[in-house]
Order: sequence, then C-alpha cells, then structure tokens
Amino acid sequence: MDEWRYEPARDLGLTPRDSFRSVRRERGLLSLAASLAWMLITRAWLRLYHRLEVRGREHLPAAPPFLVVANHSSHLDAPALAAALPLHLALRAFPVAAGDTFFESRATAAFASLMMNALPIWRRNCGPHALGELRQRLLGEPCVFILFPEGTRSRTGAMGAFKPGIGRLVCGAPTPVPVVPCHLDGAFAALPPHARYPRPRKLTLRIGPPIVMDDLPDRREGWERITHAAEAAVRALAPQTSNVVPRPSSSSS
Amino acid sequence: MNDAVHDRLFDSARAFDSPVTVGLTLAVAAALVGGLLIVELLGRGGRIGAAQFDELRKRMISWCVLAPAMILPVLLGAAWTILAVGLLGLLCYREFALATGFFRHRLLSFIVALGIVLLTFAALDHWYHFFLALPSLTIVTLAAFAILPDQPRGYLQRVALGTFGYLFFGVCLLHLAYMANDPGYRPIILMLLIAVELNDVFAYIAGKSFGRRKLCPATSPGKTVGGSVGAFACTTLLVALLGAIVFHGTPVAHPLRLIGLGLLVSVAGQLGDLMLSSIKRDLGIKDMGVVIPGHGGLLDRFDSLILVAPAAFHYLAYLDGLRLSPLTRILSGV
Repeated sequence: MDEWRYEPARDLGLTPRDSFRSVRRERGLLSLAASLAWMLITRAWLRLYHRLEVRGREHLPAAPPFLVVANHSSHLDAPALAAALPLHLALRAFPVAAGDTFFESRATAAFASLMMNALPIWRRNCGPHALGELRQRLLGEPCVFILFPEGTRSRTGAMGAFKPGIGRLVCGAPTPVPVVPCHLDGAFAALPPHARYPRPRKLTLRIGPPIVMDDLPDRREGWERITHAAEAAVRALAPQTSNVVPRPSSSSS
Repeated sequence: MNDAVHDRLFDSARAFDSPVTVGLTLAVAAALVGGLLIVELLGRGGRIGAAQFDELRKRMISWCVLAPAMILPVLLGAAWTILAVGLLGLLCYREFALATGFFRHRLLSFIVALGIVLLTFAALDHWYHFFLALPSLTIVTLAAFAILPDQPRGYLQRVALGTFGYLFFGVCLLHLAYMANDPGYRPIILMLLIAVELNDVFAYIAGKSFGRRKLCPATSPGKTVGGSVGAFACTTLLVALLGAIVFHGTPVAHPLRLIGLGLLVSVAGQLGDLMLSSIKRDLGIKDMGVVIPGHGGLLDRFDSLILVAPAAFHYLAYLDGLRLSPLTRILSGV
C-alpha cells in the first residue's frame, strides 16, 4: 500500500510579492478565474476591435510542452498569441515577460501574474540558472511558453535577431520540445511601443509548422541551431508586403 | 423580509444593546492600546532584545488589524457576521488546499469552495435543513466528480482531502456564522471569539509559569501539561462568568452548565490548535502561510475556533441557550 503523498504549493511560504515574481508560482482557483476572465475579455477585444485573424491553427501541437515564438513589436503580441491557443491550452500557457518591465512594481506584478499568467525573466540576469528554472517548469508541469526571442519590442517594426535563450529551454530535453513559429502582422501599426492607446488596425497571426529537432546538443552549437531555425521560420511566415526588413547577412546573436 | 429580520441583519444601532458587548469591546480596545504601550516601553527601556522587540511589535500591530476585523462585522449586523465567517472559511480552506496540494484538483477544489459559499448562503437564509443537507450533498458530489479523470490511483486521498477540508473549514467553522440567527448573537459570538483567543494566551502564560511536563512533544513541542491545565481553569472561569450575564434567563444560566460550556470551549480550542499542529507536522511545513505578519497563515490564528464553533453551537442548542429567530428561509422562502 502506498503512503499518501502531499505536494504543497511550490510557492508556499512566499509573500504575495515574492510569489508573483517567482517562476515556481502556482495558481489557485482565484487566479484561474481572474485569468479566464481576462482572457475572454482580450479575446473579444482582439476579435472585434482588431479583427484578429489566425491562420495555420492546425499546426499547434495537441498537448504541452511546447514553445510559441514570435516577432515582438507591441504589448498586443502576448494576448494575441494566447488568443490563438484553444482555451484549455491557453490556461496552461505562460507568456515569458521582462521582469524589469512587468514585475518591478507591486501593481504590475499582480496584474502580470494573476491576469496574464506571465512568468518573469530578468534581462540583466537571464543566465543558465534562471533559464534552467524556466525549463524545469516547462517540462515538469508540462506547460506552454509564449516567448519573444528578440528580447524586446522592436522600436521600428522591423524584426530583430533572435537571442539564443530558447536553446537553453529546449536543448537536451528527454523528448524533443516542439517550437511553434508565429508571425503577427499589424501589431506595430496598432500599438507600437511609443503609443499609449491602441488603434483599430487589423491583426493577422500566421502559425507555422512546429520545428522539432531531436538531436540538439545542450551547448552553444545546439542553442544556435534551434534559434536560427526558429528565426528563419518566423521570417518566412512574414507577408512579402509587410515592412519587415530582411535580416542583415552578418548576424550577431 | 420584515423589520425584525432586517434589524438583526443590518441594524448596527443595536450593537451595544448588551452590557457584555460593550464590556468586551472596550476590554479588547484597552488590551490593544495597553499591549502596544507595553511593547514600546519594553523596547525603549532595553528590557528585551531588538529581534524580540521587532517580533513582538509585528505581532501587536497584526492584532491591531485582526481584532477590529473580527469584532466589527459582529457589531455591524448578522449579515456582515455571516459573510465574514464565510470568507474566513474560504480563506482557511485555501491555505489548507495550497499546503496539501489539493488545489491542483481544480474541479474538486471548486466543489469544496462552492460548498462553503452555499453554507454561507444557508446561514444567511436561516435555512437549517439546507445547512444540514450540504455536508452529505457536497461529499457525494466530490466522490462522484473524483471518478471523472478515470485515475483510481489516489482516489481515496483526493476525496478524503476534499471532505476533510470541507467539513473542517466549511461545516465546522460556519456553525459560528449560524449562531448569528439568534437576535442576541452579538455577546455570544464575541464571548466565544475572545475566550478562544485568550485560551491560547492563558495556555502560553501558564505554560511559561509552571509548565514542565510536555503535553505531546512530537506534535507540538512548546505545549505543556501545566499550560493546558492553566488554560482550562482560566478559560472556564472567564466563560462561566461572562455566560452568567449573556445567558441570563435561559436554561444555560445554571452554574454547572456554564462551567460545562467553559470547559468545552477550552478543550475544543486546545484540540483545534493541536489538530493544526498535527496537520503541519504531517505535511512537514512550519506555518500555513504568510498572510499575518508575526503569526503565519490565517489558519495558524483561527485553528482553535474550528472545533469550538460546532461544539459550542450544539451544546447551546441542546440546552435551549440559542434563541434562533422563528423566521426561517428569509431569502429563499415564499
């Protein structure tokens, strides 16, 4: 006969503030209800105000873990990507957000964690340890991460180079973790980084076939391979007429 | 809803009808002010270390928030009392669910939370049959929905944890709320709340003064037989004296019955405390949460109340000490 096994919440004993900022954070019914409400509101908003169109939904894997990566030019990006997922996956999806933007003040940290279900990554401290904790979360739960590997919102609308951090999340996993490339078009026109209020521009999200690589070594070579593959796939999804500038030949990632 | 019901639920003008309510409220206010002063004086005078001073002051400031939060709803009206106890039940259950990991069974956890909300409604509605029906209905619902994932492994643990959480933090605790259906509920509930909190204080002081033999060291190393006996004596005396005024003119106002009530409050209070200690030992955690600075989680503070509420309710109801309003089903009735 087995003994009972208790598994307390992994953030038990943390103050609310520390728990919001922790990647071990687990959600109870209240947070689930809050983010469900937020999700329904943003979905309605994106569909009605921005006429969000999603192409290639069939490429989404049926079950976690997987990564969704996309170009980043607007605060609308994360909600739009979450809105493309079916609801049961969206509730298990964590946008990985910049700690210094979303998790410094108590109010934004509460909003980002309770409503957006975001996990923080600190741009000045995103070394192996921080990425290792995120990876443990991704594989252990398992869940879905929504990531913007450019590391920041584009100030010009043009897509920048991907940083190799996603490599640390997927390389060396016991079973390959699919990376789903997405391209969101129109978000920069609707809500660029310097704008306060969103304009009613149309958003088009294109989802590409997932990249699954099962022979990735967990070192720089492997990280760069998956990063380049993901970046190329996202670029390939961009419409030809869009103002996305082609990648310069000498990349520095 | 007629005038009598409306007055009971919302009329705060009658808050101080009973001299016991006035006395207890003043005593608590005086104790808070006195406590703050003593801690400040001890700290300034250098009688205690800086770390201990910080800890004591944090505790006192927490009490200055907690005590009004406990007393105000009781003074404001029965509706606020019932809603406050319902909220306390939900928050205590939340801590239990997070500490045991039961919260990961989202659907079952939702059923327990919904069950506690319905108990609150039953108390507010003064619908005792529904209040009695809810435990079995909720447990049957839990057992049924726990089948759905089709994972028999851990079934018993899932259902048992949900049932335990519901019975203790819902059904037991909400008996305190149900007492608010007695138009003279204020002194009764205040007396119970204060007696339960002082019971802990008495045990602490008595234990420090003449506690030598450990009570149950594996469960709670700090507790002594001396502290426990001291608390029995002091709490029983306090409840018997206050009860003589509160229950004047009812069958409870007999010396032996009042002493019985006092003993019941003290025993159930200490058992509730030990029950939570056992749960924490079993789970391997120190505090249930960090909600109250200096105290830990809400459950660390309100553990003693969980067993006192049903014990006192049924003792008083059996002896006709509760004068529950004859107007029942005030919201759901026709």
